[in-house]
Amino acid sequence: MNAIELVSLTKTFHRRGSAPVRAVVDLSLSIPRGQIFGFLGPNGAGKTTTIKMMCGVVIPDAGSVKLLGHDVQRDRSAAMRQFGTVLEGARTVYWRLSAMENLMYFGRLKGVRDRYLKPRADRLLKELDLWERRNDDVREFSRGMQQKVAISAALMSDPPIVLLDEPTLGLDVESAQTVREWVSRLAKEENKTVLLTTHQLAMAQELCDRVAIINEGRLIADRSVDELLSLFRRDYYTIRVGGLFNGQGSLPEGLTLEPGDSETTISGDIADQDSLHQVLRCLREEGLPILSVQRAAPSLEHIFMDLLNEDRK
Amino acid sequence: MIAVPLVLYNEIRKTFIITWNYRVDLAIQFLTLVLFFVFISFFIGSGTIKSEGLPAVLLGYLIWLYAVMAISNMSTSLSGEASVGTLEQIYMSPVPAWMVIVGWVVANFLQHTVIVALLGVILVMILPVTLPLELAALPPFVLTMIGLIGFGYAIGGLTLVYKQVSSVSSLLTNVLLFLNGSLLPVHHFPAWLETIAVFLPTTQGIIVLRRVVVDGASLTAVWQDGSMVFLAIQSFVFLVVGWILFNVGERVAKQRGTLGQY
Repeated sequence: MNAIELVSLTKTFHRRGSAPVRAVVDLSLSIPRGQIFGFLGPNGAGKTTTIKMMCGVVIPDAGSVKLLGHDVQRDRSAAMRQFGTVLEGARTVYWRLSAMENLMYFGRLKGVRDRYLKPRADRLLKELDLWERRNDDVREFSRGMQQKVAISAALMSDPPIVLLDEPTLGLDVESAQTVREWVSRLAKEENKTVLLTTHQLAMAQELCDRVAIINEGRLIADRSVDELLSLFRRDYYTIRVGGLFNGQGSLPEGLTLEPGDSETTISGDIADQDSLHQVLRCLREEGLPILSVQRAAPSLEHIFMDLLNEDRK
Repeated sequence: MIAVPLVLYNEIRKTFIITWNYRVDLAIQFLTLVLFFVFISFFIGSGTIKSEGLPAVLLGYLIWLYAVMAISNMSTSLSGEASVGTLEQIYMSPVPAWMVIVGWVVANFLQHTVIVALLGVILVMILPVTLPLELAALPPFVLTMIGLIGFGYAIGGLTLVYKQVSSVSSLLTNVLLFLNGSLLPVHHFPAWLETIAVFLPTTQGIIVLRRVVVDGASLTAVWQDGSMVFLAIQSFVFLVVGWILFNVGERVAKQRGTLGQY
């Protein structure tokens, strides 16, 4: 059984005086247990609406969401027990309550029994370095600490699924690093399924097993990160040679030459190893010393932009 | 299955901790309520504070405070939770949201009962007024509260859809002070205004409670003259209509995707 199952999820918002906005269009996704799943897209792509439909706070026009087999609309109570969420925004916990009081409150709200509440809260507060300040009001905390409280609150019921909407937004480098490590641990050590949205694609590349990219509510890619990187891998090379090279005519088409003061940079796609050797042979015949040969792999960010641009055409 | 007492305990605990954080504001509000009644008594007595008729006004005033609780607090609580970003979290609980909101209502009721009791004691001490504690007042009081809670749920449903309802509910509670018979019994109103007034929340409750507490009428007497029956019917209509409106409002907000907006 998949942890998360979205089938033909569709949502259109009708606003008075403006055209209807198709937020999510026929979106289907299956996410197995234990996977860290990146849900990516530009602003307004429909990521938050999808997460809110998964949480049951937005009713879809069509389609269904199942969390570990429980339909969010039909079997609400059981579905709500399967996940913890941190929605986008600075305030998702009570600022006038202490960190401990927040965790106890949200734990009870999720139905955690009293005998498990305190040990669970203690453990989370210690693991996220909040123990020393557990009795301080959350309003006195830094943004990073508040986010840690929100994440702890979402984990109070020890849910098998964790939904994180922009979990590192607005955090300093150190806090963002703690959250990243925490997310990675949740999947690897506790076998939780994590769905996260982020605009930080380097983070998605580092953390996620699989990513889906949506644009204007439509799914435009859904693959493992490795698959996506290999599928879009271009054999793009940058070769630096000493001295001035004028033999462009002898090189394969598509390569560009950038002459410098004492060296020349040749760059472009070289399809295979035979072609690369041919280029190197040409350079040797010219008697120029080869300073370096670099193969550049595209990042998830490059692929994301390529896919979006392709989709917008 | 999550136990209802656990949900109620959770909400009552949260409400009391947060209220305690605002204790200075609460003390100032309390002082305002004391002074407000003293000034009302002064105006009703044409420049002097007369004991005649004051128990009926005090009773009306205390019931009106419950109306403020039920009407204003429902909209401010919902808007407050939405602006804090916790309303959607409440809707992600395995517990139905209405049950959590019953917890708010109970917490607010307990809080207001402490305030009303303290206020009553202080006003009885400083003004020439007595208010006998009649056990027979309990059934009409409970019925009045049921009607108010229903009205509060209706306001809650409107708040979920239209968001900016707090100014309307504030207007409504202020109008209620003058139209529900708190200050002047409704039979002194022009006939057309009296007809409107008796259909407002708390008006019939104040009429019956005055008969029992101030005039010393028995429950049998208020039942036989039909005023208690009217109160019971009205309160249950408010509860059912309020419940329906709240559920409709909740569904509309979820369909529009505006549940967490404020």
